Amino acid sequence: MGPVPQSSDAPAAPAAEPEATAAAPRPRPPAVRATLVASAVALLLIVAIILGSRMLRNFDSALLPYAVATVFLAFGVTYRYTVWVSEPAARRLLRQGWRTLFSRENFRKAPTALPRMIATYLGFQKFLGARSTARWAAHQLLFWGCILAAVITFPLTWGWFTFTSATGPGPSYEMRIWGFKIIGFNSADVIGWALFHGLDLAAVLVIAGAGYFLWRRLRDRTATTGQRFGYDLVPLLALIVISVTGLLLTFSAVFLHGGGYEFLALLHMVSVVFTLIYLPFGKFFHIVQRPAAVGMQLFKYSARQDEKLFTCRRCGELVDTAPYVENLRGTMRDLRLDFDEWAEYCPRCKRVLRGSAYLTRVKRGFK
Amino acid sequence: MMGRTIFIDPGRCIGCQACVSACRECDSHRGKSMIHLDYPDEGRSVASLPTVCMHCSDPVAPCAEVCPADAIQVTPDGVVQQADTTRCIGCANCVNACPFGVPKIDLAAKLQMKCDLCYDRTSHGLAPMCATVCPTGALFYGTLEELRTERPGVEVADSFTFGDTVVHTGVAMVVPADKVRWPVPGGLPVIEVNGVDVR
Repeated sequence: MGPVPQSSDAPAAPAAEPEATAAAPRPRPPAVRATLVASAVALLLIVAIILGSRMLRNFDSALLPYAVATVFLAFGVTYRYTVWVSEPAARRLLRQGWRTLFSRENFRKAPTALPRMIATYLGFQKFLGARSTARWAAHQLLFWGCILAAVITFPLTWGWFTFTSATGPGPSYEMRIWGFKIIGFNSADVIGWALFHGLDLAAVLVIAGAGYFLWRRLRDRTATTGQRFGYDLVPLLALIVISVTGLLLTFSAVFLHGGGYEFLALLHMVSVVFTLIYLPFGKFFHIVQRPAAVGMQLFKYSARQDEKLFTCRRCGELVDTAPYVENLRGTMRDLRLDFDEWAEYCPRCKRVLRGSAYLTRVKRGFK
Repeated sequence: MMGRTIFIDPGRCIGCQACVSACRECDSHRGKSMIHLDYPDEGRSVASLPTVCMHCSDPVAPCAEVCPADAIQVTPDGVVQQADTTRCIGCANCVNACPFGVPKIDLAAKLQMKCDLCYDRTSHGLAPMCATVCPTGALFYGTLEELRTERPGVEVADSFTFGDTVVHTGVAMVVPADKVRWPVPGGLPVIEVNGVDVR
């Protein structure tokens, strides 16, 4: 029906505008570039594991499947990230973020902006509090639990951390990183206990947070609307399985004299490996995406400091910062959305102008 | 145009705001209304225009295309969902790129929200909240055949012009049968504002 619209599904043309091609004189297809970059990162990690574990001397072969999974993780995350940032919208915002960060104005006017944003936005996630206090609290538990677990386990599986005792069975231990002694501690005191039970503490935090979200996914009608099992529930179940099997390992060691330990260890390992490999492709990818958003914030913050604001051409209402509107118009042109001029009007004026056009040209007086 | 969709007839809208109130009851954004009710010629005319998400099909969802975080998903049945809460970074690209001025944003929560055709209802065969309560039929939900059974000979448009670009949508608008002009002007280029030439 109606006139034939202009084709908008043309393949991504790299020569859309000179600005877009300046950075990449001979662009490769994103998939090829992503494979190359991801392979390089995975290879780099393998080299880092070998060197960090002092030519595998400190490498714990029992943890080999975990280490292999982290190599796959590095490949997957880098691949997905590279493909993601090659899309016009992400590429442009990311570039603007970095440009702002390294700009002289940023260093001169707002040197603390980035650390502040990292703390409030990525660390304490204040924006989640604006969505819901309960979700913020649960996410904080989940977040800090995962951070703690990652900080402990990744270097351990790579053979970067070692705990050795000069006195045989302890209780005095030394913690070494890359073979260098960092601290000595008594495994019987509080610090020693916390160090050896860090993963149990992390598991408790994660179970509390993920448990709340799972409950919400089953009961809350806002959450259940349009939720997908693979995207919304699997990540929570994975985290809970990892944490519960991890805690059961401690339970087995303390109370069952190691009963069922091998089976539990296998179950734990399978769940961790699955989760690490799944991470780049589902909901967990927000862990990688979210930090990039700090660049967007900095980009807007910096322009607001300089009062580079853009107001609606019709009503004078604030639209956003001027560099942001320019950036969005560029993104729209990249995507062949040739009505980018429309971005200079606020959403309400767009609706009102469409209403006026309908009123005057389609159905006079709405009769 | 989607098979079952909303048909908007601004000529029937009396500006009663029933749709605005009902929209708040939608489970996917409880307490917040996503429908817009504007008065294009305020002070001179009682004309009012309800705006729901038009669920653009070609180009597919400009809001999703300009999203840097891949937060806006389009379901296989053509419904453009509101931003995934996990991914949305609150950059407002979608808000300012949408040719129909549909998405809303909560800057403190860094979250975009928009009409998702009451997906919790429409995916189960129920009509969206707004169309359910509209007393005049300005918002009708169903197939074109069902609309024509109620309103014989009615003509609808599902394409809009914005400058040289034509945007085809999943939601359609009623246009006068005697002067079907394809596509419907979307407001760009801006020619006049309330009678004042702004060219």
